[in-house]
Amino acid sequence: MLAAVRSATLIGVDGQPVTVEVHVSSGLPAYQVVGLPDAAVRESRERVRAAVLSSSLPWPQNRITVNLAPGGVRKTGSGLELAVALGVLGANDALPAGVLDGVAVLGELGLDGSVRPVPGTLALVDALARAGASAVIVPMANASEAELVGDVRVRAARTLGELRACLKGEEPWPDWDPPAVPPDDAAAGMLDDEMVDLADVRGLPFARQALEVAAAGGHHLLFCGPPGTGKTMLARRLGTVLPPLSHPEALEVTRIHSASGIPLGGHLVRRRPFRAPHHTASTAALVGGGSGRARPGEITLAHRGILFLDELGEFAPTALDALRQPLEERAVRISRQGVSLTFPAAFQLVACSNPCPCGSAGNECRCSDAQRERYRRRLSAPLLDRFDLRVRVDAPESHDEPGESSSEVAARVFVAYERQRARYADWPWSQNAHVAAGAVPRLLPLGADADEMWRDLIADRQLTGRGATRIRRVARTLADLDDSAGITADHLENASGMRGDVP
Amino acid sequence: MSGPERPDPAPLDPVEVAGATLASLPDMTHRRLRALVERGGGPVGALAGLERGLAAAVLCDRATVDELPARQSLARAWQAAARGDRVARTLVARSTRVYVAGRPGYPLDEELPERPEVLLAEGDNPAALDRPRVAVVGTRAATPNGLDDARELGATLARAGVTVVSGLAIGIDGAVHEGALDAGGAVIGVVATGLDVVYPRRHRILFERVRASGLIMSELAYGTQPRQYAFPVRNRIIAGLAQVTVVVEATLKGGARLTADHALAYGRTVMAYPGSRRNPASAGTNQLIYDGATVVLDPNDVLLELGFSGPGPRADQRTLPLGDQAAVLEACHGEPATLDQLASRARLTPSRVVAAVRALERDGWMERSRGLCWPQ
Repeated sequence: MLAAVRSATLIGVDGQPVTVEVHVSSGLPAYQVVGLPDAAVRESRERVRAAVLSSSLPWPQNRITVNLAPGGVRKTGSGLELAVALGVLGANDALPAGVLDGVAVLGELGLDGSVRPVPGTLALVDALARAGASAVIVPMANASEAELVGDVRVRAARTLGELRACLKGEEPWPDWDPPAVPPDDAAAGMLDDEMVDLADVRGLPFARQALEVAAAGGHHLLFCGPPGTGKTMLARRLGTVLPPLSHPEALEVTRIHSASGIPLGGHLVRRRPFRAPHHTASTAALVGGGSGRARPGEITLAHRGILFLDELGEFAPTALDALRQPLEERAVRISRQGVSLTFPAAFQLVACSNPCPCGSAGNECRCSDAQRERYRRRLSAPLLDRFDLRVRVDAPESHDEPGESSSEVAARVFVAYERQRARYADWPWSQNAHVAAGAVPRLLPLGADADEMWRDLIADRQLTGRGATRIRRVARTLADLDDSAGITADHLENASGMRGDVP
Repeated sequence: MSGPERPDPAPLDPVEVAGATLASLPDMTHRRLRALVERGGGPVGALAGLERGLAAAVLCDRATVDELPARQSLARAWQAAARGDRVARTLVARSTRVYVAGRPGYPLDEELPERPEVLLAEGDNPAALDRPRVAVVGTRAATPNGLDDARELGATLARAGVTVVSGLAIGIDGAVHEGALDAGGAVIGVVATGLDVVYPRRHRILFERVRASGLIMSELAYGTQPRQYAFPVRNRIIAGLAQVTVVVEATLKGGARLTADHALAYGRTVMAYPGSRRNPASAGTNQLIYDGATVVLDPNDVLLELGFSGPGPRADQRTLPLGDQAAVLEACHGEPATLDQLASRARLTPSRVVAAVRALERDGWMERSRGLCWPQ
């Protein structure tokens, strides 16, 4: 009277295989769930019972004990319900023996016996495949997402009754509709249902160049300037010129988004994420955590993509300072209820800020020293230091023409990106911005004419070692965009021009 | 500042101790102090006379009947406070210098109608008083340009060996002190509190720097906390200490205007920086110029006014920019501009603009700050 069914639960953004053991024994009718279930798992009992009865299947009038193993891991969400239901059927001899060997089961149940989708299917199936499951049964709506994992057979379930019939071999397994056609390149410029393109931006050659460099080399970028000059407009178009995600990166991003409950439509995330949290966002919303189950923050949702912070000075200083450690480590560690979770957070930070409370240009600023000082203090120097590119943006001139389109810029960015990937094939990074400081002199050598300029720059601008290294990385990206083998004096000069002392 | 630094302190001068004791009496004002000293025939006589009714005589002179009881109790408080040696001990402990009117070394003109009878000073460089002195004052709500002007003027004066006198307030005062100190000059800060009170707190590091390179002066007793009415009264000392008073930025109704009014009343030269009429921080200086103050177009103008020969006020030694550099400098239109604006106006590629800006920076035609290029 014992049955075991494999399933999985989410811990952070990763799947954790769980074995659902159901024991039916004689005694007064009772239903017990043990093994660190959360409230959602415990209340599954009523759904499982109703679903079994609605499917015209027998519910044992005995003592039922459900154990979720391993016992030390907190199980969350409703994705274990289908496994529990099959376990009850198995322990009650309502399923043929052995049909669930090597098969894992995911799904939430409705009271009518229908199987409902669960968040994080990709992460869960991925974890199950690694744990050795040869097939997974998932809700119909999650089938195409589960198939993205690749090396596991996917079966779709619509209702509990139909699933039992399929398992007994009485009915063929249902097919599922292929996902809607993934967004093609033509729609790549869609942002919040609005078509954007770099050609919309007039003038601002430096700011555009900085955007291109940021896209190609993965450099953190800060635009600073008066309101209404096009900072935000430019920054929001960064998504249209970014290099594409590689397949492993795409899987990684899709898994995170799936685990965070972002609807995916069943296909891979192919475009780099662009997350733009509002400046009222809390520390937990930005870096992850929160009360109860630790959830990934915006920096994890922006993994392999852009975290865009508009009005940087309006964010809570504590929230901004919490970004510093993930910016360095490209991951964030959160300790919660005895477990310590590591969320990936390899994001690129793009921010906009006003120079002072009035935000007006140069000579017209009438802010007092104290006002400006207070405003500046909202952005800590260590945070400002992490921006490789700090560009002042003012309104374009009246005669400025619209610039290049996103597709032209994206083509150059792609070539530069491929150059970097080839150069760093043996290293744990793929973009210039992430080259370890110790490896910079060896990996980013200066061209013949650049040595003197390099010394001049360090002396003239009184650069610290870290500042100089950041300029050199940017110069390398400029060289990659120029398709140039060495860093020239021009590249260094331009790179230093793009790291201004704003605000 | 403290005793151990000076192994063998000079014995206290009885006149200085008497002066400092009188200045430290409760609710002392410079008018009361002056009346005491004049009627007592000097600080020592005045201190001795307190017990013999001098306190009541000075305090109750021209007091109304309603005020009399309070004045009489204050007179008794004076008598009580004058008996101890608390002030003498403080002077020794803090190595305070005491300047008494009519004695050698008193840094102000004896003829000034509102001169302080006693000035207390702390600092490691009393020689700062022996040089030509220029007061530089201005508004606390200064603009970035005003602060730059103040720093530049402080440095110019310091390099010429002129002592800068100011009030250690935030804004222009602090900037001119900083400019002079950064250039290695001597400075005098006149405060409107006791010498042991640091106000504003934000300037506590600046206070230490002023002590190390000059003097901090006050006419008020140790422990006197900042009071709004004390600042304009203090300003007359700033004006009195200096041959020339320069106002960098001032609002129409600010303390800096009062300092300039004192300087005019003392027959000193007042100079002012002009500014846009749309800039409220320039309204006060523009009004001063309208009323006859000398215009400062260049920091060297102040040195010329002091009688220094030095470089001509606008003798430009820079090499004239050519080519891209000339085009970029022209594209500024005399205002700070972003690299984008320069590239767009001069119709040059970004890399040529950066190269030109760097060359202009090197030759002193341009400065980069806060993300903007500022033509110089």
